[in-house]
Amino acid sequence: MVAAALVFAVVAFVTAWPGNDDEPQRSAATTPAETETGEDSVEPQPTTETEPPAPPKVEVARIDIRGGAVAGGPKTIEVVKGDAVRIVVTADAADEIHLHGYDISRSAAPGQPARFRFKADAEGAFEIESHVAEDAGLDALVARLVVAPS
Amino acid sequence: MISFAHGLVARSDLPIPEWLFGWAAAMVLVVSFVALAVLWPEPKLQREHWRPLPGGLGRALASRPVEIVYGAIGAALLVVLVYAGLRGTQSSTANLAPTFVYVIFWLAFVPASVLFGDVFKAFNPWRAIGRGVGWVAGKAARGSLPAPLAYPERLGHWPAAAGIFAFAVMELVAANGDQPQTVAIATLVYSALTFVAMALYGVETWIARGEAFSVYFNLFSRLSSVETRGGVVGLRRPLAGLADLKAGAGTVPLLAVMIGSVTFDGLSEAPVWTGVAPDIARFFGDVGLSPQNALELTFLVGLIGAILLVYGFYRLGVLGAHSVGGGFSTDRLARAFVHTLVPIALAYVAAHYFTLLLFQGQALGFLASDPLGDGSNLFGTSDSQIDYTLVGANATWYWQVGFVITGHVAGLTLAHDRALAMYDRAKLAVRSQYWMLAVMVGFTSLALWLLSQANA
Repeated sequence: MVAAALVFAVVAFVTAWPGNDDEPQRSAATTPAETETGEDSVEPQPTTETEPPAPPKVEVARIDIRGGAVAGGPKTIEVVKGDAVRIVVTADAADEIHLHGYDISRSAAPGQPARFRFKADAEGAFEIESHVAEDAGLDALVARLVVAPS
Repeated sequence: MISFAHGLVARSDLPIPEWLFGWAAAMVLVVSFVALAVLWPEPKLQREHWRPLPGGLGRALASRPVEIVYGAIGAALLVVLVYAGLRGTQSSTANLAPTFVYVIFWLAFVPASVLFGDVFKAFNPWRAIGRGVGWVAGKAARGSLPAPLAYPERLGHWPAAAGIFAFAVMELVAANGDQPQTVAIATLVYSALTFVAMALYGVETWIARGEAFSVYFNLFSRLSSVETRGGVVGLRRPLAGLADLKAGAGTVPLLAVMIGSVTFDGLSEAPVWTGVAPDIARFFGDVGLSPQNALELTFLVGLIGAILLVYGFYRLGVLGAHSVGGGFSTDRLARAFVHTLVPIALAYVAAHYFTLLLFQGQALGFLASDPLGDGSNLFGTSDSQIDYTLVGANATWYWQVGFVITGHVAGLTLAHDRALAMYDRAKLAVRSQYWMLAVMVGFTSLALWLLSQANA
């Protein structure tokens, strides 16, 4: 009986262990968007201070909303606390994009993408939603911002 | 992927890292076996040692005028939240009602109960109104009010289980459950049901046995050292209040609803669920439901499934304990050990909602000044904001794991003490405990696993 309980406990732990089964999801989530060149890549934070050796990284993510849906499905934008984040949302219809938690709203229109620029100073997972989709009772998720501890 | 968490959740937790999961799991096993070796050989918690607070403090804190003040505050807040929900803006984050119900009422009273005893009973608006009306009616009828009906034993904790389940459906399943108006109307309906039940069975009886939130917070307050007895606030051994719990019909289902609903809320952020939910929703859609109803039904299925899973797992452990002999029926055993699940339920709530309370709780700052969301500034705090840097991810992980392991140890301790009290042969007590240990380890592993899966 004791042995049975022990075996049970061990089995419970082995089956509860994460790792084997979360690989597919990992790959499904896109990691930091490709850094890009062009108008959106801004030079790193001012480097006038003498102390901080490594200036914060700049993370840039592009999201495209077409026909009321996110091209390629909602992504996860992964950054590290302290990163300077740029998110550009292009849309083929007028929209209002809201980053929860950081509480930044930007409007988007055809040819006029919504541009978010902020420093990722709060850790956690935050949703980026389309208010147009939300008001229409549709799935409003545009992307998720994950800010990991540095 | 479906985003369906209610609109109050602006920020959610990161999954605990694998190395921490490993350490926590190992610690749970070590703690369990050390506990079995070092815990006392004679039951200790079955008799309470209650002592009033020194100086007239115990009596003063629970005196009649002070009680009336508590009750009046509770009743006033009930009126304010219903008014705000019905008349205020319908944005769930800019109106006081949703944050008040889902965060301040539902979450903040949990740590308050554990620390300070049954504080909800003092502030309970339904009890205060019921007592007030009863007092006036008694005066008017000159003491000739009909006696309340006897509370049917077979009802037991079933009304509370149903009430907490309904609340979980509002919070986790209903698409518009975070709408201020929905919150206000649900509050009115629940208040009406509560007043009818109090009229039938008596105010104090219904509060003690049937009113869902009174029963819910009372369970957590039993972990506390503070207990009010006969109008006097006093201290007892921590955990001893749980050993004193009278478990009856519906008590095990109530605990299953409590743990199962938090499990489902955690699971709904996990890849396991977010992967399969769209398929289930599509199936319901194909059957002819609207997309929103299909999604709601999917979440209802998930919620019920999680509750049944928790219930089934506990019954399985009880079946094991039954197999060691001792002459107890499985129902008797299930009720004898159900109080050990209360610290587990607390660990689930604490680990899962810790950051929601900490962050969304700050919204009370601006909502108190502008409850209707119409731009008023009653206390000059309507410009305050939520500081999302208050607690970082690392600190959150340690708190979460700490809650889970503490709950595990408390559950084990209670099970140990109860086994010693129940079985006259020490050998049977020990053998039954391996089964309860397996139950605890199972629930604790599930809690850790859910933490490792949050938004993974």
